Amino acid sequence: MEISQSTSKPVPSTFRRLMAVCYRHMTTYNRNFFTNSFGVVLEPLIFFMAVGWGLASAIGSIDGVPYLVFLVPGQIMTSVVYSVAFETSYGTYFRLEMDHNYDSMMVTPLGVSDIFWGELLYVGVRAAFFSTIPLVIFGVWGLILSPWAVLVPLVCFFTAIAIGSLGLFANRLVKSLNQFNFFVSGLIAPLLFFSGTLFPIDKIPKAVAFVMAWMPLYPSINLCRMLTTGHFQPELWVTLVYVVLVPWPLGYLGVKCIRPKLIK
Amino acid sequence: MPVDLSPEALEKGETMIQAKQLVKNYDAFRAVDGVDFDVQKGECFGFLGPNGAGKSTLMKMVYCFSPRSAGELSIFGLDPDLKPAEIKNRIGVVAQTDNLDEQVSVIQNLEIYAGYFGLSRRETKNKIQSLLGFMALEAKSKARIKELSGGLKRRLVIARALLNDPEILILDEPTTGLDPQVRHLIWAKLRELKGQGVTLLLTTHYMEEAHELCDRLLVMDKGKVLDSGKPRDLVQKSMPPYVLELPATLQKNLGALPTAVHMEAHGDKLFLYSTSPDVLEKVAVSLSGEFRIRTTGLEDLFLKLTGRDLHDSD
Ligand SMILES: Nc1ncnc2c1ncn2[C@@H]1O[C@H](COP(=O)(O)OP(=O)(O)OP(=O)(O)O)[C@@H](O)[C@H]1O
Ligand SMILES: [Mg+2]
Repeated sequence: MEISQSTSKPVPSTFRRLMAVCYRHMTTYNRNFFTNSFGVVLEPLIFFMAVGWGLASAIGSIDGVPYLVFLVPGQIMTSVVYSVAFETSYGTYFRLEMDHNYDSMMVTPLGVSDIFWGELLYVGVRAAFFSTIPLVIFGVWGLILSPWAVLVPLVCFFTAIAIGSLGLFANRLVKSLNQFNFFVSGLIAPLLFFSGTLFPIDKIPKAVAFVMAWMPLYPSINLCRMLTTGHFQPELWVTLVYVVLVPWPLGYLGVKCIRPKLIK
Repeated sequence: MPVDLSPEALEKGETMIQAKQLVKNYDAFRAVDGVDFDVQKGECFGFLGPNGAGKSTLMKMVYCFSPRSAGELSIFGLDPDLKPAEIKNRIGVVAQTDNLDEQVSVIQNLEIYAGYFGLSRRETKNKIQSLLGFMALEAKSKARIKELSGGLKRRLVIARALLNDPEILILDEPTTGLDPQVRHLIWAKLRELKGQGVTLLLTTHYMEEAHELCDRLLVMDKGKVLDSGKPRDLVQKSMPPYVLELPATLQKNLGALPTAVHMEAHGDKLFLYSTSPDVLEKVAVSLSGEFRIRTTGLEDLFLKLTGRDLHDSD
């Protein structure tokens, strides 16, 4: 083995560093691909069979579409959001405190920003990828009414970055692993329930609805619903801008919050 | 402290690492307290000290993991606060705890890590082949990390640290907890690297390791430097050349000691030091039992410098 001392190697570009982090997560995730992806794909379908059929016949239609059609975007988003929320809460905690994976990354040209922006991009891409599977199944089922639905994975990408950032933020607050229950059951779950996944947001008290409308999930689900039904609402543009722009400042704050966990 | 700060040494571009009055505080606790040292190109420099002395903290500042609280530090003439990526691109780090990607294989661990340095696909493949050979890991290349013994993991971590052809290799207790065979293998590999001009910075609790590998040592405790220099000089400077080791229970059987003998107690042992083996011989024959007189070494120096009390328990 020769150590070549001659060439001075340039520091890899930001793009390459981010890709290297994504590659790391993909490789470790893919090792258990079937186990890992099982729930993400199956959950929305099982929910549909268990609850959707029964409720749908009782409810009929909502907002001018059949109830099953109404449910589709929320269900796609729910599985994606849970998967991301777990990844950047419990998953990140493990990498941080148990396996010390970030320590090994920190002694390479990567910095804190590379590591966590890479992670956020990764969960974004993963979310987009996994959303395509239920999307296709629901499409075959006849529950997708508009070709605009092909943009749903893109919405999932942005939403995952926003939710992932919240996970990083939670890592700053928790003192032990089980405190993530507060994050998942106390924040993510209610966020999902009251963001128009199961019923339109105007059915809940006005004050709550107003708050939820500005939380990171409602605009995403609303936008997905416009895309899958083709019923575009007047708030399309503001929703679109929200979904595309909000993840970035959230990501910035998430990375900023987790920094002191790594640098001591 | 004999630090080589001469302008000539610096000008020749041979100083790889230089620290002046380096300080690290963890909140109110001062883990490193005004440390000076320099490391020259191609040498092996060792940090010795009891648990909690601040060795790892010192190294973390060097490999740009922990920002320093005060003092000056430069690696390749660069400031770790300002140019961390540039510095880290040129060093290899073996941290005190193995931090491998447990879920994936040996090869995948190396591929992932090569990505962090931006190595191309071909470079990665070639480098991994030669490193697996170098650290004798070929047979295990497809194994998952969970299946590896401690010695194999350590060898993999060292291989990983060499992916970027580092100019400085930093090793925090590279052989702690490993069997003698693996330890000797690692020593041989480190010597080979040194022969290729790689600068080594290491910490160890094994005096034998320090003796085998290090050109210069820095002994520290409680964040402060106790002494530094070449291993042989250090021992000669502060230790009488001969020592007689006795069980502490024999203390009561010892009569008045000759003035040329200096006695210290560490654990359940007594250490009688002297410049003359004959004086010690006389003491030894006055006691019943067989006691050997030996020459003093690093271990004796270490015990003397760092005191007799147990650390981390006070
Ligand atoms: N992140 C941290 N926060 C607070 N204190 C710390 C931190 N890291 C280390 N310390 C303290 O700093 C001191 C020096 O620790 P360090 O790990 O540098 O010692 P060491 O010489 O490497 O010891 P060992 O031989 O056991 O590895 C110890 O008292 C330790 O408890
Ligand atoms: Mg240590």
